[in-house]
Amino acid sequence: MSRLPLFTRSLAGSWRPLLGWAAGILAVLSLYLPLYPSLAGQDFQDLLQSLPSELISALGYDQLTTGAGYTQSTFFGLIGFVLFTIAAVSWGTRAIAGDEESGTLELVLAHAVSRVQLVLERSAAIAARLLLLGLFTGLAVLVFNRPAQLGLVPSHVWAGCAALIGLALLTAFVALAAGAFSGRRVWALAAAVAVAVGGYALNAVANQNPDLDYLHSWTPYYWAFGAGPLSNGADWAGLTALYGTSTLLVLLAAFALNRRDIGT
Amino acid sequence: MGTGSAASVVQTRALHKRFGRIAALKGIDLDVPAGSVFGIIGPNGAGKTTLMRLLLDLLRPSSGEIAVLGVDPRSGGPDLRRRIGFLPGDLFMAERVSGQELLRCFSRISGPVKPGTVRALAERLELDLGRPVRALSKGNRQKLGLIQAFMHQPPLLILDEPTSGLDPLVQQEFLALVREASSNGQTVLLSSHVLSEIEEAADTVAILRSGTVVSAASTAAIRASAGRRVRIGTTVTEAPALVERLGRVPGLVLLQVGADPVASGATSINARFDGEMPDLITALAGQRLLDLVVQEPDLEEAVLRFYGPEAGAGTGDGGAG
Repeated sequence: MSRLPLFTRSLAGSWRPLLGWAAGILAVLSLYLPLYPSLAGQDFQDLLQSLPSELISALGYDQLTTGAGYTQSTFFGLIGFVLFTIAAVSWGTRAIAGDEESGTLELVLAHAVSRVQLVLERSAAIAARLLLLGLFTGLAVLVFNRPAQLGLVPSHVWAGCAALIGLALLTAFVALAAGAFSGRRVWALAAAVAVAVGGYALNAVANQNPDLDYLHSWTPYYWAFGAGPLSNGADWAGLTALYGTSTLLVLLAAFALNRRDIGT
Repeated sequence: MGTGSAASVVQTRALHKRFGRIAALKGIDLDVPAGSVFGIIGPNGAGKTTLMRLLLDLLRPSSGEIAVLGVDPRSGGPDLRRRIGFLPGDLFMAERVSGQELLRCFSRISGPVKPGTVRALAERLELDLGRPVRALSKGNRQKLGLIQAFMHQPPLLILDEPTSGLDPLVQQEFLALVREASSNGQTVLLSSHVLSEIEEAADTVAILRSGTVVSAASTAAIRASAGRRVRIGTTVTEAPALVERLGRVPGLVLLQVGADPVASGATSINARFDGEMPDLITALAGQRLLDLVVQEPDLEEAVLRFYGPEAGAGTGDGGAG
C-alpha cells in the first residue's frame, strides 16, 4: 500500500503526453521569441499605428514594442494560453467525466478509495502536470531572453508563468467540477471551454471602453494578465483569485462526486 | 443496522432504488449467509447489477437498509471496500496500461496482496499480464477482472456475471476458484442470467425479477420444485387423441404440439410434468409412441417458470433443455 496511489498512477501514465506538450510549447516559443529584434524597429511601429485601435486593444498589442509586451502578446496571452487551455480542458474533462463515461471509474471506486480522495489525488496530478509545463515554459523563455533581446526580468517571467498555470488550473478544475456534478464529458468540456473562451472574450470587450472596465473583474484571463506580470511582476491579488477559485472548484468537485450515483 | 445477525455477510431490508421514474429495485430483502456461495439470477434488467452496485456504495439507495460485513456501505467507505473483491458486470479498465501495471495500482489501493498471488492466479487462468489492456480480448479482460477481485483474498467477493466471455475450460477454473474461496471461509455473491454456472457453484439462489426477489432458496430446494421436461413423439394421425389423454393427466402442462422438426410425418409433443409418474405412464400405456424423453428436473427449468408464463417453451430455445 502506498500513499497517493491514484496520483502516482495518473502521473505515471502521463509523462509521454507531457513531453509532447513541452515540445509544442518549445516550438511555439522558438518560432516567436527570436523574431522580436526584427519587430522592435520603427517599421513595425508604423504598421501597428495603421491598425484599428480597437483591434490593437482587443489583441492586447498595446505594448508590443517592449520585450515583456511582445512575450505577453504572442505567447502568454495568446498561443501559450491556447496550448495550456487545451491541455487543461482535456485533463480536467478526463479526470472524472471521461473515466465515468468510459466506465473505468466504477472499478476504481469499488476499491478502497474514497471519492473525495479520488478527486483530490486526480486534481493534484493535474496541478503537478501544469506546474511542470509552467516550469518548462519559464526556463525556455529565460533561455531565449538574452539572444532574443527581450530584456525580461527573471522574477517577472516566473510571475507570468504562475499566472498562466493558475489560469489553466482554474479551467481544468471547472471541467473537473462540471464532470463531478454531471458525470458527462460534454458538460465538463462545455463548462471549461465557456470559462476559457468566455473569459478571453469578456476581457477583450472590457479592453475597448473604460465604461466596461468593471467586466474585467469577472474574467479569469484578466486576473491572470490584467496587471501585466511580465512587465510589472507578480500580481498577488490576481494570483489569489486564480488559485483561490481553483481550490474552491476542487472542493466543489469532491462534494458533488461524493453525493451522487456513479455511472448512471 | 443493529438487527443484522452476525451470520449474514450481506443483508438488505426493504431496499428500493429508483432512477428518476424507473424503479430498479422494489423492496429487496436479502440475507447472504457467511461462507456461502450465493447466486442471484434473473433476466437482464432484473436489477442484479443495481443491487451489487448498491452494496459497493457506487449507487445510493432510494430507501431501505443495507449492511455489508455488518456495515452500511455509505459509512463503511474505503475500509469496507478493502474487504470486498468486486467484478463489475460491465468491465472497463484503463486501456493503455499493462495488466501487471493495472493490478499493481489496484493492489496499492486495496492491498496488501500476498506476494506471488497475482502470478499464481494469472497462471491458473492463463493470462499474459505483460500485454496492454487494450490488446486483450473480452475473455482475457474478464480474467484480469477476476484477478483484481480475488487477489487480496477479501472476505466477500461480489461478482457480476463472472463467467461472461470465458471459455468452458476457464469457466471450470473459475468454479474451482469459487470453491476454494468458499472453503477458505470467504463469502461469494455472484450473479448470472446463465443458470448453469450458478447451478454448479451456488448453494443458495435468489431469483430476481423486475426489481423484486421472486424466490430465494437452496439450490436443492429449487431443483426439487422443478418440473420434468417431457417430449413425446407420435404419428400425425395419433396425435389429437394422445393430446387429449395427456390433458387429463394431473400435473402435466402441455407446452407445445407441432410437427417434428426431424422425422417427417411425426408430431412432437412437449410438456412439463411435476405430477406423479404412474399417472403419466398409465396415460401413455398402449399408445403408439415413436419417441419418449423424460428429462431430469433442471434448475434452469424451474427458474424460467419464474421469469414469465412459459418462457423458453419454444423448441428453438434449446438452452432450456
